[in-house]
Amino acid sequence: MSTVNYAQLWQLALPQVIVVAAALIALAVDLLLLRMRPTHTRFTVAALLGSLGCVLAIVRLVLAPAQVNVLDGTLLANPLTHLVQVALLVLAIATLLMATNSRFTEHIGEFVLLILVATVGSMFLASSQDLLVIFISLELLSLSLYILTAFDKHRPHSSEAALKYFLFGGMSAAFLLFGFSLLYGLSNSTSLPRIADAIHASGATGSPLNPLLLIAIVTTVIGFGFKVAAFPFHFWAPDVYQGAPAPSAGFIASASKVASFFIFFQIMAVGFAGAEGSAAWMRFTTGWVPVLAVVAALSMVLGNLVAIVQRSVRRLLAYSAIAHAGYMLLAIASHTQQSLGALLYYVITYALATLGAFGVVAIVEHRTGGDRLSDFDGLSRRAPVLSGCMFIFLLSLAGIPPLAGFFGKFYLFVSVLGSGPGLLWLVVLAIAMSAVSLYYYLQVLKRIYVANPSEEVANASADATTIGTPILSQAVVVLLAAGVVLFGCAPHLLLHWIDAAIRTTGF
Amino acid sequence: MTWIVQNLWLVPALPTVAAGIGALARRRNRVLAASLAIGSMSVSFLLSVVAFAHVLSLGNRGLATRQVVDFRWFQFGNQWLKLGWMLDPLTAVMLVMVTFVGLLIFIYSVGYMEHDENFTRFFCFLALFAGAMLGVVLSNSLLLLFMCWELVGLTSYLLIGFWYHKPEAAAAAKKAFIVTRIGDLGFFLGMAWLYAQSGTLLFYDNGAGCLEHAALAVLVVHVTAVGMAASTGIALLIFCGAAGKSGQVPLHVWLPDAMEGPTPVSALIHAATMVAAGVFLIARVYPLMSAHAGPGLGLTPTTALIVVTWVGAITAVFAALIAIAQYDIKRILAYSTISQLGYMMMGLGVGGVAVGMFHLITHAFFKSLLFLGAGSVIHGCNGEQDIRKMGGLRKFMPITFLAYAVGMLALCGFPLFFSGFWSKDAILHAASTWSVSRTPYYLGAFGALLTAFYMTRQVYYVFAGASRLDASTAASAHASSHATATPHESPAIMTIPLTILAAFAMLLGFVGTPAWPWFQSFLQDRGVALHLAAFSEPGLLPVMLSSSLIVLLGLALGWWFYGRKPIASAEAPDSFGRLQPHAFSILGHAFYVDALYRATLLRLNAAWSRICDWLDRWVWNGAVQTVSYTVLAFAWLDNLVDTKVVNAGFDEGCETVSRSGQVLALLQGGRVQSYLRMIGVALVALAVFLLWGATR
Repeated sequence: MSTVNYAQLWQLALPQVIVVAAALIALAVDLLLLRMRPTHTRFTVAALLGSLGCVLAIVRLVLAPAQVNVLDGTLLANPLTHLVQVALLVLAIATLLMATNSRFTEHIGEFVLLILVATVGSMFLASSQDLLVIFISLELLSLSLYILTAFDKHRPHSSEAALKYFLFGGMSAAFLLFGFSLLYGLSNSTSLPRIADAIHASGATGSPLNPLLLIAIVTTVIGFGFKVAAFPFHFWAPDVYQGAPAPSAGFIASASKVASFFIFFQIMAVGFAGAEGSAAWMRFTTGWVPVLAVVAALSMVLGNLVAIVQRSVRRLLAYSAIAHAGYMLLAIASHTQQSLGALLYYVITYALATLGAFGVVAIVEHRTGGDRLSDFDGLSRRAPVLSGCMFIFLLSLAGIPPLAGFFGKFYLFVSVLGSGPGLLWLVVLAIAMSAVSLYYYLQVLKRIYVANPSEEVANASADATTIGTPILSQAVVVLLAAGVVLFGCAPHLLLHWIDAAIRTTGF
Repeated sequence: MTWIVQNLWLVPALPTVAAGIGALARRRNRVLAASLAIGSMSVSFLLSVVAFAHVLSLGNRGLATRQVVDFRWFQFGNQWLKLGWMLDPLTAVMLVMVTFVGLLIFIYSVGYMEHDENFTRFFCFLALFAGAMLGVVLSNSLLLLFMCWELVGLTSYLLIGFWYHKPEAAAAAKKAFIVTRIGDLGFFLGMAWLYAQSGTLLFYDNGAGCLEHAALAVLVVHVTAVGMAASTGIALLIFCGAAGKSGQVPLHVWLPDAMEGPTPVSALIHAATMVAAGVFLIARVYPLMSAHAGPGLGLTPTTALIVVTWVGAITAVFAALIAIAQYDIKRILAYSTISQLGYMMMGLGVGGVAVGMFHLITHAFFKSLLFLGAGSVIHGCNGEQDIRKMGGLRKFMPITFLAYAVGMLALCGFPLFFSGFWSKDAILHAASTWSVSRTPYYLGAFGALLTAFYMTRQVYYVFAGASRLDASTAASAHASSHATATPHESPAIMTIPLTILAAFAMLLGFVGTPAWPWFQSFLQDRGVALHLAAFSEPGLLPVMLSSSLIVLLGLALGWWFYGRKPIASAEAPDSFGRLQPHAFSILGHAFYVDALYRATLLRLNAAWSRICDWLDRWVWNGAVQTVSYTVLAFAWLDNLVDTKVVNAGFDEGCETVSRSGQVLALLQGGRVQSYLRMIGVALVALAVFLLWGATR
């Protein structure tokens, strides 16, 4: 047992500390000084304070490169975790700034605080290889998200979704903890590399895996399958995406996904190394890869097909998220260095596009009062800039070049195939399903660009224009769209960074 | 490597940039567009002259006159695709010719297009054309040449269809584009083949280029399936492209129709430069065209050159025959252009680069002179193009008449004082000594007779006798406000370029006489000295003499038919046509080639299109529809299954389904209990799946 150097710990956790401090300051300023001000002002001030904290944390992360491993993986600091944390902070900033025109709550300081606490949870999640810390950070993240989902107290939907989310999350957390306890029992350690060593030591090559380990694999997959909304652990997603306030839903769909996928990859690839098995077509051998392959295949099929019949844009995005989770699980199933790079590129660009799409949905809801497809009729004539951004986001999600989504898919599939021909059937399925997905994304775009707005929507928007266009939100949406285009046209900007981080870190 | 070689790219870049700015200019920025185009062209001209002088000085100092600059474009696999430009005598001559003639025609256009509301667009296109054409001339890569070649084709299309509101102009533009594209298909295949064989498309690359010895040695040895050397196959395919661009039979049909474009365009693109690009291309890849398998065969012509010669000779006579029976002043010149391009091809085939290129250069000057003269005539006659309705213009347009006469005599090849004589004579002389056959020589001589005849006919129709304009244009005279009843001389901005071109049409011949073959030596990198004894070379004087006699005979025949008594009225039948009405009618319809194409190729194409349309509508679309319905059916099926599976665990859900029918709300169920149950089901299913796999 090595001793803990608290000064070092403090330094390593400084970005998180900065974010927490910013959250508290934002709360204090909001509660003490701005109580009587209009909602918009309060939101802007709190969001700017929170963003400032995030920016400072980013600066700290970028300026203080470190490669430290405290207490056998309890807390890590290396280029890879820094990269993920910077991505999380950027998404948090975008979420905060996009929220400034919302009016769903009076408790603005608390809202900003929770977003930032969730960010801190996800940052810790990304920077640990220890089961305990992973679980605690996961709970910090999840609990914050439950509350964020329930934040719109005027709409019963919001509370209903939060309750479902909470129950579902609690159940899967229980499974996860059960799996973790089995792992601890098997290996006498909570550190992922140690667990892998124990798996290697116990199983001579060729001998069947310990049944307890198999249970642990299944429960771990359930726990994280819930976080990333993969079939059949996705049931919360459509309700939450629809019921939660738009900024919360955007955050759940973006930042939470980034952190969860990263740590999911780490747990499977590092912690369960030696128990991979094989998912090659017709030649399954037991391990975690075939489990993920089955879950991924089901997610892609269900997500894409059910999305076709959705009439609500938010639910559509939820099913599309399930489908995308399926694609990204492929990267985990192939678990190579290249596929980690592909996964990070994919999840970051996907998060940008989804967050942007939620930004657009939020503004449209603000004007028309709903997120049904018919509310988007003829949007291009009323809000050309927003429509253009939505066009970019949806086509990127569908994977149309030259947008980031295309390159993400391309690189991801290439990396999966690069790990061997065994997963070819999954890639073929994924490509076929991407083609299907184009249908429902184009449905939305058709509404936006082709359909004529109905009378009442036109009237409602005429009234809504008197409220004024949310400039800050719109600017963030445009920036996100620009990012999607930029990373699509020049993927090396992000990819070089990711590759360099993976190379220096190992994984 | 000197400054001029390094920066030669500026020559095409400047007009291209001018075109880019012109494209952004508004319609009323006429002065800006014209001055940009003319200014950029002037600078390009000066640079070209500097480049020319540079090559000249290198040659005089006995250094290698070919200099290339290559650069990497992009990487694919582990190879780099390289492009580049070069400066050699051929490029230098073409650069000066294109920029100089282009500059004069740009200036002329300011006057000619004065009343056109799309003046700005016109200059934008002209400048783009100039940039692309200069790119063709100086590129050192077949690929770059091809790209510029296509750009040239595009601008030709845009400019022929400049008055696109006229259906004939739009149709002519389309025709030109498609017909040249057929030739370009061959060009492209040839290029792909060349790349596959030699691995490079650079012409010269320090010994590694595709026109250099190493690559050619491989190409001539490599024999393809039909027993033809790869070099021959590639050369013939590239010749397809050249034939399309240069209007050789049977791809000549687009060029007469291209006369629907504004006259300066006809002069610049369809007489002086673009149509000559095909000839230039053959000259550029001449090492490939003339590549022999063995060293001892240096004098026998290759298959490719034999094909070039025959196509050229046939084209020369074919088009000259048609020109006899045309009435449109520009169509006569167009057929004459085709005929002269045939001469150039023949010259390349029988006599090599210098012979063909000499005629190209002299032709560029006197044919653009003729076209600009024709433009001036049309301008003066308020847009009338039918020579039967002109007449007597010598009185009204003295400068135009003089310039036109010079151009006409140069084209006919009038002895000694006109450039056409010397350049055409070089071709005929080379043809008379050709080792394969003497038929091309006889064809060429016959073509010369016809040329003199139809030009005399045209000049008598247009300039001699009394004006027949009044009666026929009376109707249009009051429709157009600035039209006057009598023809008038064109403004100075149009006549000055005419005068300059006329001077060159006369003087240019003297740089390539047999006694002082400066031009030929320049292209071949040799020194030159004046020696009059060259005239006594065997076979030369008889050829010169006989061709002079032929020209005089042609002129005399022309006078006999059209000059003896003045043409009385516009409706009077053609004197020659009265003599041979049937032949005249066939010629007047251009041997019915268009009709033939319409009846065969186009009908075939239409039938094929209908079949494709049918396939597209019923077969492919049906397949696509089937797939899409299948996917939709799957989606619904999946949705249904999902509903059943989720709801199977609890009765309440099923009851709700049957009650409300709101499938989607119920798909998700909305009941947390069932969600949680699903986790349990999944746990069991996955665990069983794994354990089953483990025990297997």
